[in-house]
Amino acid sequence: MIKASLRGLLQRKLRLSLAVFAIVLSVAFLAGSMVLSDTLSARFTALFTTVNQNVAVVVQPKDPQAVEPARLTEAQLRTLSEVDGVRVVSPDVSVQGATPFRATDGEPVSADAALGFGVDGNDDPLGLVELREGRWPTAENEVAITAHTAELAKVKRGEQLKVYLPVLNEPRSFTVVGVAGYSGGRDSLAGEVVVMFQQAFAQRTFYGETGRFGGASFAAEPGVSDIELKQRIEQRLPAGFKALTAEESSEDRAALSGGVIIDVFKYILVGFAVVAGIVGIFLIFNTFNIIVAQRTRELALLRALGAGWGQVAGSVLLEALVVGVVGATLGLAAGVGVAAAAEQYLMGEVPLPPVDLVVAPLTVLLSYLLGVVVTLVAAFVPAVRASSVPPVAAMRDVVRPDKSLKALSIVGAVFALLGIGLVALGAFADLGGTAFLILLFGALLLFVGTLLLSPLLARPIVRGLGALIGRGSAGDLGVRNAARNPRRTAVTAAAIIIGVTVIGMTATVVQSFKTSLEDIMGENIGVEVMIQAAVTAAPDGRQGFNPKALDQVRAIPGVKEAAAWHFDALGVSVAGQPQAFGVFATDVGQAARMFPFDATGGEIRTLAAQELVLDGNTAETLKLKAGDRTPVVIGGVTRDYTVVGVYQATPIIQGILVGEPAIADFPGPLAFQGFVSLNDGVDAAPVVEKIETIMKDYPGVQVGDRQSYVDQATASYDFLLIAVQILLLVALVIALLGILNTLVLSIVERTRELGLVRAVGLSRGGLVWMITVESVLITVFGVFLGLALGVGLGAAFTKALMTLEFASVIAIPWLELAQYLLAAVVAGVLAAVIPARMAARLNVLDAISYE
Amino acid sequence: MTSPVTERPAAGAGAAARATDLWKVYGSGEAQVIALRGVNVELERGRFTAIMGPSGSGKSTLMHCMAGLDSATRGQLAIGDTALNGLGDAGLTRLRREKVGFIFQQFNLLPTLTAEENILLPLAIAGRKPDPGWFRTVVDTVGLGDRLGHRPNQLSGGQQQRVACARALVARPEVIFADEPTGNLDSRSGAEILGFLRRSVTEHGQTIVMVTHDANAASYAGRVIFLADGQIVDELTEPTADAVLDRIKRLDVVSTGAPE
Ligand SMILES: Nc1ncnc2c1ncn2[C@@H]1O[C@H](COP(=O)(O)OP(=O)(O)OP(=O)(O)O)[C@@H](O)[C@H]1O
Ligand SMILES: [Mg+2]
Repeated sequence: MIKASLRGLLQRKLRLSLAVFAIVLSVAFLAGSMVLSDTLSARFTALFTTVNQNVAVVVQPKDPQAVEPARLTEAQLRTLSEVDGVRVVSPDVSVQGATPFRATDGEPVSADAALGFGVDGNDDPLGLVELREGRWPTAENEVAITAHTAELAKVKRGEQLKVYLPVLNEPRSFTVVGVAGYSGGRDSLAGEVVVMFQQAFAQRTFYGETGRFGGASFAAEPGVSDIELKQRIEQRLPAGFKALTAEESSEDRAALSGGVIIDVFKYILVGFAVVAGIVGIFLIFNTFNIIVAQRTRELALLRALGAGWGQVAGSVLLEALVVGVVGATLGLAAGVGVAAAAEQYLMGEVPLPPVDLVVAPLTVLLSYLLGVVVTLVAAFVPAVRASSVPPVAAMRDVVRPDKSLKALSIVGAVFALLGIGLVALGAFADLGGTAFLILLFGALLLFVGTLLLSPLLARPIVRGLGALIGRGSAGDLGVRNAARNPRRTAVTAAAIIIGVTVIGMTATVVQSFKTSLEDIMGENIGVEVMIQAAVTAAPDGRQGFNPKALDQVRAIPGVKEAAAWHFDALGVSVAGQPQAFGVFATDVGQAARMFPFDATGGEIRTLAAQELVLDGNTAETLKLKAGDRTPVVIGGVTRDYTVVGVYQATPIIQGILVGEPAIADFPGPLAFQGFVSLNDGVDAAPVVEKIETIMKDYPGVQVGDRQSYVDQATASYDFLLIAVQILLLVALVIALLGILNTLVLSIVERTRELGLVRAVGLSRGGLVWMITVESVLITVFGVFLGLALGVGLGAAFTKALMTLEFASVIAIPWLELAQYLLAAVVAGVLAAVIPARMAARLNVLDAISYE
Repeated sequence: MTSPVTERPAAGAGAAARATDLWKVYGSGEAQVIALRGVNVELERGRFTAIMGPSGSGKSTLMHCMAGLDSATRGQLAIGDTALNGLGDAGLTRLRREKVGFIFQQFNLLPTLTAEENILLPLAIAGRKPDPGWFRTVVDTVGLGDRLGHRPNQLSGGQQQRVACARALVARPEVIFADEPTGNLDSRSGAEILGFLRRSVTEHGQTIVMVTHDANAASYAGRVIFLADGQIVDELTEPTADAVLDRIKRLDVVSTGAPE
């Protein structure tokens, strides 16, 4: 029996190579994205391992983001350095955002990280940074920079360099007295910009007084392990500090700094892997299902010759096992190869330390799980079906009627109805934040329900669509073929349904959000120019621009008003509840002239100290109304505030607003945003240019007109949309190959029919058209269902956002939808190319005498 | 479609199909099989011709070549006034559409189409309108009136063959080729089918060529051609089943050298 099934394996080369192909493809996508993601993370960890290469233990504040982070005094540092087993100490005086300006054009140098250090005039005791030319800074107006920084800022030793000083919030000029590099001849570790100041100057400027350190790194004496030293240091550690081994610190910092970029990237890759996995399940299942179904007669023959139920099922499973293992192994190898190429491509320009590809055990496990287990399940179902058919019945050459779709459809309908109910509840009932959870769950139910219902829907939809494109008898035959096996059509289209639902939903929400924003901005906003600080950390007034700079803006001819908005999102709480979205501080009376503010309670006016206004939703959540008094914590200071007014939230303005006197409590005095209104008939463009010159000294501050503000506000959503579109592309590619697979198998199965239609006069072109119509219909069916579902869910999510005033209209992105549909048609045509050529090459005589 | 089939008149018009000195050789060297050796045959219009012969004698090969499904190794082939030699795929497709009908032993119908749609398929493919009167006549002749809306898997084997007959007849082709059309049927259903074929010849002047093993089936034909070892060895006109059987016995003696 085993021999028979293995020999059978070799004889059905075409079908099996298609099955292996399906597995390889699915596994390769999954393994590729996992390996790539792990390897990129490893690169970042490797970066900080380099930073910590000679370090045993790192001491740092427990909460570096605190308003007043803990600092080490000289005495404390000395105590720690006297701990038994410490070889050398490298104290840390550093600040983020010390951005140099280019010598040539005065623009701030753009880099992912701009770090300022205080150095004591001696060489780095840890040997990481080496002086290449000149000397370390010894005076207040001297700096040393890394070679990479020198290159970016276009300065040489001996020249002047303007550097923006955070905390001081102004740029200052320095003489470059030295250029440094890293051990091993590297100019930078990861493309970062580094400016090294005289230590006392750095301490005074960044930490407020000399003799203070932000932390320290310790090297151990030979024979003392990192963990041992960490434990010893911990015993002498001042309050507010923690000790980490070099390894812990590397991981910590990799997570923190690589964090944002790598995380977004990782989410996308994980999304890839999930989509590839799910779509792969469908692809493998469908392919193997068809292959085994086609062998029903052969299996029945074995049964007729006396093979038992178990033997038949066993032989099919053995075959599936072999195919699954081969496919998963090849897929894993292909995935690693793809990841290696992608990593080379992505990281070619980034000066991160190279690492070996990371093939995690989880990657291998999931690859084989997908490849082998899914294949076994996919083979098992039809094998059981085949072996349970009485041998004689299967031998008879009648087309067996389709298995009823009733049970499947009832379950699907129940899921879908429940889902619709929950989605409606989430969209229309005013449930606050929980609405989204309900919506999400409902969406999932509806989605699964639709997938289960899709075989039932396949016939009517395919026929309806077919009436549009299936002209002529060849087209008509194509339509019938697409509709003849609804299960097969539905499962083949499932990959597309999944991908397109996600994209349709995202596109609808993004479009609605944009349109809402544009509506509001266009209608009743008195603001023509926006000034916006870069967001590199939670804004708290320590980044941005000096509000005094707006005096210069106000002096520009044509400018009516200029308002500074301060923003603090760090440790703010109101009425005892932490406010993740922080508080804004501005002249609210002025804001009411620039933005639509509708008071629903109290009044909206310029606020005095300890007064606030807030939007209706927030007021409801905090159970506050006009006239109430409530405790507010800003910058670690608790004060009682009076609620002066409640306003109607809009997509652009919502949250808690306090008056300008409150800025004194903010961690920093810098404004986060500026809004400028112009006199009637004044052109915004020249004003934007003038403001840009004024803001030049503040790195990262952007100036733009109203449209650019809308663009910027929606930029992150556009990014989301692009990420989702890439996902769609992956799904579409896999789906395309799935359709190709199904069509090829169908052609093998229908050789006799193809011969027949050729014998009664169908031309080659007609045959190609017939298969193309079938392919396009399957694709368009998937896109059609996916878009219907996606747009519906997107509208529901937008409705929920509207209840929360985040959006004001539901906008359907017709243009994008049309593009997706077009892409599907093209994909359908492409998928048909190979199968159609195969069919056209069939010899009529061979086809009709085919067994 | 640069070679309209009607533009290539062949000599001896009047015959529905002709083969002149037809050779068909499969494979080469050791594995070479000569299926047909110099066959000359002319199928008159409006005649029901049966081809008989032992298994492997080349009956199917002869039919496939004459129908343009297979190419000849040597010799001339024509259907009506169209020479088949040198017609490309497009030309052959057009020929099949306009001049030829087929009835196979089994798998004659597309499972996705109803009986009626199967019958009208060749006309639909050719983009021709069916003649409603003729369609009714054909359907009535094969007795399918109440079964037209059914799909093949809802029809018996005999009914499926009737649908196949109707399909071949409805386009009124120059010639219908049938390879053992009753081979899978019981004798009653077989007799019915053969009855229709014969009536379509006598009443409507259709030309039909049929391959068969069954002497009884051959007796429905107006002419029987006997094939042995790739050559025409004998011929009968207006045969009875007994006469056919008698010939077959004699042929067996000739080809095997011993009585059965
Ligand atoms: N494609 C082919 N390749 C090689 N030899 C072939 C091929 N088709 C037919 N033959 C050979 O040609 C000869 C004639 O075959 P053919 O099918 O015409 O016989 P037949 O008279 O129809 O037999 P039957 O009554 O069994 O159907 C046989 O010897 C057969 O083996
Ligand atoms: Mg034969």
